[in-house]
This record gives sequence, C-alpha cells and structure tokens, in this order.
Amino acid sequence: MRGLFGVSAQFRARVEAQREPLYRLAYSWCRDAALADDVAQEAMLRALDRGAQLADEKRLKAWLCAILANCLKDHYRRARPLEPLDEDMPAQGETPEAASASGQLAARVRAEIGRLPLGQCQVVTLVDLEGFSYAEVGEILELPIGTVMSRLCRAREALRARLIEFAAGQENKLRSIR
Amino acid sequence: MSREREVSREMQNAFVDGQLDAADWTALVERMGGDESLRRQLCELRTLKDMVKGAYADARPSRAPTAADRRGWARVAGLALVFALAGWLVHGATDRGQAAAELRGVSAGGIVVHVASSRGEVVNTALQEVEDYLRDARAAGRKVKVEIVANQTGMDILRSDTSAYAKRLERLHAAYPNLTFSACNQTADRLREKGVAVKLLPGVHFAPTALDEIVKRMQQGWVYIRA
Repeated sequence: MRGLFGVSAQFRARVEAQREPLYRLAYSWCRDAALADDVAQEAMLRALDRGAQLADEKRLKAWLCAILANCLKDHYRRARPLEPLDEDMPAQGETPEAASASGQLAARVRAEIGRLPLGQCQVVTLVDLEGFSYAEVGEILELPIGTVMSRLCRAREALRARLIEFAAGQENKLRSIR
Repeated sequence: MSREREVSREMQNAFVDGQLDAADWTALVERMGGDESLRRQLCELRTLKDMVKGAYADARPSRAPTAADRRGWARVAGLALVFALAGWLVHGATDRGQAAAELRGVSAGGIVVHVASSRGEVVNTALQEVEDYLRDARAAGRKVKVEIVANQTGMDILRSDTSAYAKRLERLHAAYPNLTFSACNQTADRLREKGVAVKLLPGVHFAPTALDEIVKRMQQGWVYIRA
C-alpha cells in the first residue's frame, strides 16, 4: 500500500506544471487527443502516488516522462492484451495523404511522425520536443544509448525522405503566391 | 571523398543535437568547410528538428487546468490517503487483508474507487472489496459513501450494452444506496467519435473526466483507491 504522505506542495506544483509537455509528448506518441489527455493525467496521478520514489527532484521531468511511457505501454497492453507490445508498430492517427491534402506543414509533420514505429517516435520527440540528451532518453525508455542513437537515426532518415521535399514544395508555393 | 571517410548519420545527428564532445564537434566543423554535401545534410537535419518542434507548438490539453484544479492538486495529498487497490491483487492474501483492515479504520466521509480496466480480476476484486467494505461499515454503524469512477476500458462495466456486471451492480446499488457510480465523459466522447452510442446502466451518472471526479472527491476528504 502506498500513500501520498510526505509529498510536498512544491512537488505537486512542479508535477502540475508538466501537464502540457506531458500531454504534448503523449499526443505525439499516440496521435489521439483524448487518449493523450487520459495518459497524461494517469501519469500525473501515478507521479503523485510515487513521489517518494524520486530521489533527485532535478530529474522530475525525465522521471515523469518515464512514467508517461509506461502508462502508454500499459494502455496498449490493456487494449491489445493478446498481442505482444511491439515498439515497431506505427502510431495511429491522420494519414499523411489526408494531412497533405490539408496543405498544412505541421499536420503533415505530425502525420509522418505518427507513421514512425513507436520506439522511433518516442526517441525523436523526446530529443526534439523536450530537448532531452541521449543519455536521458536512454534512462526514460530504459534503452542503451546506442539503441537511442540508432532509433533516432532511422527516425530522422524516414522523416527526411518524406518531409524535406514536401517542405521545399510548400516554400515554393508561398514564393509563387507572393 | 570515399564512403569510409563520410561522417556517419549518428555523428551528424549528435552534432545537431549538441551531443558531441568538444574535440568531435571541432573536427566536424572543420570538415564542413570543404564538404558541401555534409553541410547540406546537416542543414536538412536542422530543418527537420525545427519542423518536429514546430509541429506540436499548438498541442495543448483539451482542458487547461483551472484555478480550482490547482487548488485541488494542492490539496490532494494533504487531505487524502491514497490506496493502490492493485496491491490487493498482487501482494497476496495477507496484504489484501491488511489493506481491507486499514480501510475499515479510515474515518473519511467517503471512498472513491477508480476502475480503469475491464479485466475480470480487476473488476471482480474491486466489487468484492467494495461490497465487503460496505457490509462491514453498515454492521459497525459507520456512515460512509462509496463512489465507483470508471474510465478507459473500465467504463465497459457501467455501459448497458457491454457490462458483464449489470445485475451485480444493480443488486449492490439496491442494497447500498450510499454506493454511486460515475462514468468518464471524456472516455464516452472518444467512443462517440467512433460511432458508439454510449448508454449507461440505470443510476450511473457522467462525470466530466475521471480525474476531475477523483480530485473533487479528494478535495472533500475522500479516500482514493485505484483498482
């Protein structure tokens, strides 16, 4: 049995302050706004429940992100109990074709990130959205640093192949309008 | 330049991410001066990095925390015990007995039981413990309220079209008027978006979100139990 005794008001405020980055990460991983809300809230509840386990409060954000990753993993295990969790499975959400049709670069980028295998998606968003070092990402996802680097490399290769030309095309469109 | 002498993709990534040590960083910068291909590749990586960051600049939770939420979070730990019902499941009979015994000693005005899974062992254990607790409380003359809050797949137990526990819940509700049920409207919205018509069992109410309901109850001094 675990309790919340001993968790300071300052700690609770710091957990609450991470609500937006946690949601942003969860959304980038699952591409489902409602699920991202659920998972972020679940992570915050778990964090309050386990606050005493955090030895170094400077590591709060990384610790919360690790909890978030586990919450999403748990969700997928509950949703697909008979299937092994596959970090190579693509995230879900809007198709790149639909995003292209909308003509919005941000939507297209989100869609392409959603096409990445979950393991690659998590690494690239932890580095690019939240600015974690490779070592921190390794701790968050419980991966060797070499795996972090190789996943990041594959993720960016895939994004480069799919997005650089699209981005250049968008820029040319803007020039022709001007 | 031979392929053997090309700067690896891992090194290029580490450069744009600021993960190289000073010596490698300097060597790579020197290399860039005479290598147009490398400059272009690094520029693309830098652009990609900016694109990823920019793509989520507007991503925010659907419901930003309000002042009331902030007060709620601030009071959560101070007011309430938090029990992990999962402990009842995994720690064996001794801990289950200990948890139940400690629950009986709680003098809170109510207990909110959070069910986020429809797995049989989770739901059955939760309902059994709730029933045992309510029976003991009644026998001891303790007036206590219990609310079961369900979200995610746990909401299946409160839906008339999916619940395998409808009769059991009806019987419990009839026997204990101090037992209430709340379903997460956020989970329901997600189901509605998929075309599911969400119908709840009689007597079940919607809460805006499971978290809102739990925090509200904890602000009122209730005990939180996670199934």
